[in-house]
Amino acid sequence: MAVNDLAELLKCAVPEVFSTMLSMEASPQPADAPKPVFDAQVAGAVGFTGKLDGVVYLFTPVSFARLITGRLLGLSDNEIDGDDMVNDAIGELTNMVVGHVKSRMCDRGAACVMTIPSVVRGSHFSITPVSPTDSRTLHFVCQDQHLLVQVLVKP
Amino acid sequence: MGVKILTVDDSKTIRLIVARAFKTFDTEILEASNGVEGLAVASREKPDIILLDFTMPVMDGMEMLGKLKSNTDLKSIPVVMLTAEAGRENVTKIAKMGVRDYIVKPFKEELVVERVGRIVELMPRGATVAKIRRYDDPLNLLLVDDKPAILEQLRTGLADTPWTITSAEQVNLSLIERITQNPPDLILASLSLPSDAACTLFQKIRNTIKTQSLPIFGLSVKTETDEQVRAQQLGFTGIVTKPIDFNDLKAKITRALNLDTTYKYFERQANVLVIKVPTVCTSVATNEIAANLRLQAKEAVDAGIDKLVMDISRPKSVDVTMIELGLRVVRLCQELSLKYIFVGSEPICRECINFAETKDWRFANSIEEAVGQLGGGTRVSPPKEPVAG
Repeated sequence: MAVNDLAELLKCAVPEVFSTMLSMEASPQPADAPKPVFDAQVAGAVGFTGKLDGVVYLFTPVSFARLITGRLLGLSDNEIDGDDMVNDAIGELTNMVVGHVKSRMCDRGAACVMTIPSVVRGSHFSITPVSPTDSRTLHFVCQDQHLLVQVLVKP
Repeated sequence: MGVKILTVDDSKTIRLIVARAFKTFDTEILEASNGVEGLAVASREKPDIILLDFTMPVMDGMEMLGKLKSNTDLKSIPVVMLTAEAGRENVTKIAKMGVRDYIVKPFKEELVVERVGRIVELMPRGATVAKIRRYDDPLNLLLVDDKPAILEQLRTGLADTPWTITSAEQVNLSLIERITQNPPDLILASLSLPSDAACTLFQKIRNTIKTQSLPIFGLSVKTETDEQVRAQQLGFTGIVTKPIDFNDLKAKITRALNLDTTYKYFERQANVLVIKVPTVCTSVATNEIAANLRLQAKEAVDAGIDKLVMDISRPKSVDVTMIELGLRVVRLCQELSLKYIFVGSEPICRECINFAETKDWRFANSIEEAVGQLGGGTRVSPPKEPVAG
């Protein structure tokens, strides 16, 4: 199993999770479409280790992260109480996406375990692995909002 | 009191989603963010059901589940596992852990409610509480078993109750219609019916709104643990093993239907609360008395009663469970400042003098005498002397 296989699994996982938890349609965009650049963003991260070692990041602009949080918890934007609530929501969403992928990986013989989620937030940052990795970045559009999902796998 | 649901998940998001799912039901939602907290809350609150995340820091779901199952006070609490991982291997691992059910994330709130509703009865918030039935009220029990001898056994074993037992030998459309149109109060279904018919019946019953809360017990030979585990994981109310212990069966039916048994053991006479210990004081009877003791005593005190008589004149002898019950009564009376006395036969009195725990118990010959003794002053009369010779 390689990074391209994981990318294909993510193309199914993200829409499934968004549809079930948020009643939102997340549409994968063509690979050659220009990727958005976010200013203030929230990035959820869940790693996996076993037959494959890697990590999946889910990048959203802060505004979309707040919208996602409100949808998940049935709250209006005013009712969202601080960054922690948003961080937790994005972390859990990432957890569900990677869990979905991990289940399919295990069924195909690539057993692994997941890490607990972590979240990074800020502006104008990118995350770069220290050692060489195979990487794919997927772009989704969801109700005029943009979402990037990056998968990194140790070769 | 509502159903207590404990959610153990490191994600506050999930805990909030679960709380919201049950907002319209009469529930009390408890939360913990890891297995260590979860165990502490479970020990303190004794929830009716636990929703347990698989992957958590500090202590994960698997470890917490292991500790729950090895704790005699907590092991019977049903657990539903929440997991983001639905792979075959993971599902098999979870099934073997003794959980009642599992829910894969992502999930719709309705699914959580439906799965929990299969295990515990969920009442809408604000719904009128149904009139509580007594143990001596008529009930309709349906036996689904292809062995006629079991029906005979049931009728004989429950002959001392006013309960009616009807039967069916197989699960078919006609039976389902019969149950739907005229639901019995409880179903006993043999797990050895061919083609997993009992499980099929269970699922059909649970999927019909009119019968979704109907208690269904699986009947199974004691050694057939595989089918029993499967039935429990499916959500059967409980298992009744063959050969049938009828005291145990009556206790299970009493619990499943929340039958009021207090009238068998507690009675108010004028300004006295009388506890009547039955002739055959089984562990079931002792447990029922103990379970209702505090509430009955508090209600009596609230109604102005300040005297208690524990009548142990019916049993032929005193045993450890009866002594423990008596000690519990004494402690409670001291706590609530109730004047108390025991009623017992001569042999019982003589036996009690021989035990350190009971030698100071005061006895009267009858309830009338006991009431007279309690009503006369601030202290009860000195202990009876044993008859010489």
